[in-house]
Amino acid sequence: MAVTRRILTQIRRDRRTIGLMIFIPALIMLIFGFVLAGQAKNLPVIIDNQDAGYIVHVGKNSTSFNFGSKILSQLESDDRVRVTEASFASGKTGVDNGSYYAAIEFPANFSEVLVQRNAGRNINSSMTVYIDGTNPTIEATVLAALQSSLQNSFGNSGVVLNEQFAFRNVPFSSLDVSIPAVISLVLTQTVVLISLIVIVREATAGVLPRLYTMPLSAFERLLGYSVALLILGMAMTGIVLFIGLGIFGAIIQGSVALLFLGAVLYALLNIFLAVFLSNFASNELQAVQMVPLITLASMALSGLLIPVDSFPGWVQILARFVPMYYANNLFEGIMLKGYGIDNVAQQFIIIGGIALLFFILAVITVKDRMPD
Amino acid sequence: MLVSLIILRLHPSKNYIQQEKMCCIGKSASKGGSSVTNSSAQAEETVIETLNLIKVYKEGKIKAVDHLNLKIDRGEIYALIGSNGSGKTTTINMLTGSLFPTSGNIQVLGLQVPKQRRMVANQIGVAPQDYALYTDLTVEQNIRFFANLYGMKKTQFLKRLDELLPILRLNERRKTTISNLSGGMKRRVSIACALVHEPKIVFFDEATVGIDPVLRAFFWDYFRSLAETGLTIVLTSHVMDEAERADRIGLMRTGKLIEEGTPQEIKQRHSALSIEQVFLKLSEGVVADE
Repeated sequence: MAVTRRILTQIRRDRRTIGLMIFIPALIMLIFGFVLAGQAKNLPVIIDNQDAGYIVHVGKNSTSFNFGSKILSQLESDDRVRVTEASFASGKTGVDNGSYYAAIEFPANFSEVLVQRNAGRNINSSMTVYIDGTNPTIEATVLAALQSSLQNSFGNSGVVLNEQFAFRNVPFSSLDVSIPAVISLVLTQTVVLISLIVIVREATAGVLPRLYTMPLSAFERLLGYSVALLILGMAMTGIVLFIGLGIFGAIIQGSVALLFLGAVLYALLNIFLAVFLSNFASNELQAVQMVPLITLASMALSGLLIPVDSFPGWVQILARFVPMYYANNLFEGIMLKGYGIDNVAQQFIIIGGIALLFFILAVITVKDRMPD
Repeated sequence: MLVSLIILRLHPSKNYIQQEKMCCIGKSASKGGSSVTNSSAQAEETVIETLNLIKVYKEGKIKAVDHLNLKIDRGEIYALIGSNGSGKTTTINMLTGSLFPTSGNIQVLGLQVPKQRRMVANQIGVAPQDYALYTDLTVEQNIRFFANLYGMKKTQFLKRLDELLPILRLNERRKTTISNLSGGMKRRVSIACALVHEPKIVFFDEATVGIDPVLRAFFWDYFRSLAETGLTIVLTSHVMDEAERADRIGLMRTGKLIEEGTPQEIKQRHSALSIEQVFLKLSEGVVADE
């Protein structure tokens, strides 16, 4: 009991730890609650409805059919997808550049074939679906919405889905689509954790007061930490990529060099984040407590679990401030979509900008003397 | 404003370059622009001077140092003596620029502290009360790290290391990790780190606390030999009898300098046989940090 009592007394006196113990689980639960409450929805798709419709004459009566329009209106009322009508070609371009998840085309004879099949002819109508297969959740949700609309329109018989995968028509395994997210997760967690421990250890070792008396500015000290941690970060990045690509054979359609560069830049961002956060942690315990806050919040908000488009409006805005969101896009873009620097320049600039912002915040908040 | 704040952080000494040009280091330094030093005769010898130095810690509103006026000359061994909590370490921290005073003036080697502390830093050495060493590095790696921060070149450092290690009896422990050293050895390494760049002033905070009498005697002999070369030594101790080996003593109590002079002068003034007797007399039996 003496040990238990001593630990509880210590914790009770560490007000920051108590604060984090309450704040972190509460925040994580709130974030996950909001993010995971719904399912994937509002996924942007383009539909090119070329269906000319079909008129059936029976005696003097005639009946008009346009299944394309019917399916279109079904999809428009389905909150899983957000439909835009445009040409199939522009839809494919939209999927290729990441603006849309799928482009769907109904052919001109879509209704005609379905009516004739209904009349007993052994023919099938077809529709072409050009889809982003880099995220299984999104792919499944779009296809489920389409199946529902077909079912509701005419019982879902006689339509052949001509499914084409975007990005060189490569089908991705679960491992392929997981590895980019795992890279950003590992880089976030390990780099922040190692960096925080390295920096905070100096404070707890009692060396900092001595450093304050030396001809070493706080900026030089931060720069020293950052360069050392960058070397460690590059090593960690190398290990992650080696295991992901070399051992598990994850697919990489883009440049390995560009991927490494992006991963190192993201590691640098996390280093600067840790350098900034280290200014607020007075011991290793407090530093370590910050890691799950960053990792779990990033996981929830970056679209790693469910797409950002499915979040409530204000959470979507919040997600745009999460660095892992851009890292996921960057790594997915290079690995799965084969993007070159032209396509991922924006992510590079944003990640670089956030890294710089964290470093500036670290420089502003760093202590260069003993507390008053 | 943000940009200027960042620039200030990037080059903390930039603001003081102009002032540095106006006052040079050492003997002639204080002649220009010193608000503390009044006569050039004093400035020739005085290397540390404080005027009405006050430190009030925000937490608990504790007045740790109260209107402290110090004047320490070049080549002196000056011992700040007092019981625990009397303000000795706070004073040292302010003199070395690692803690900012609440009010008052500090001048070290003719430069304002903390304003010009980065320029002072190159010319002082500090051995803090706790060893302040990297316990997972070796003796040589620790000393090398601090030498690098002082901008020493490799050959310069190795030459100095070959001088220091035998004197401090650390030659055999050169490659030993700090965590495997005894307390006395760690103290010697800490002192080596403070002396590696041949500073003009060295601050030893409780340097002789917790070490055996033989090593303590060795330290005092070593301090004396250093002072003879012109090095100024400011040390703190709560062991009264050993302070009698200093050139001058400042007795501190509740942040105030309650007595100052050579050990002989102080003992004569109070008709006491030892400094400890003087201190007990002045303390009137009250424990300082109560």
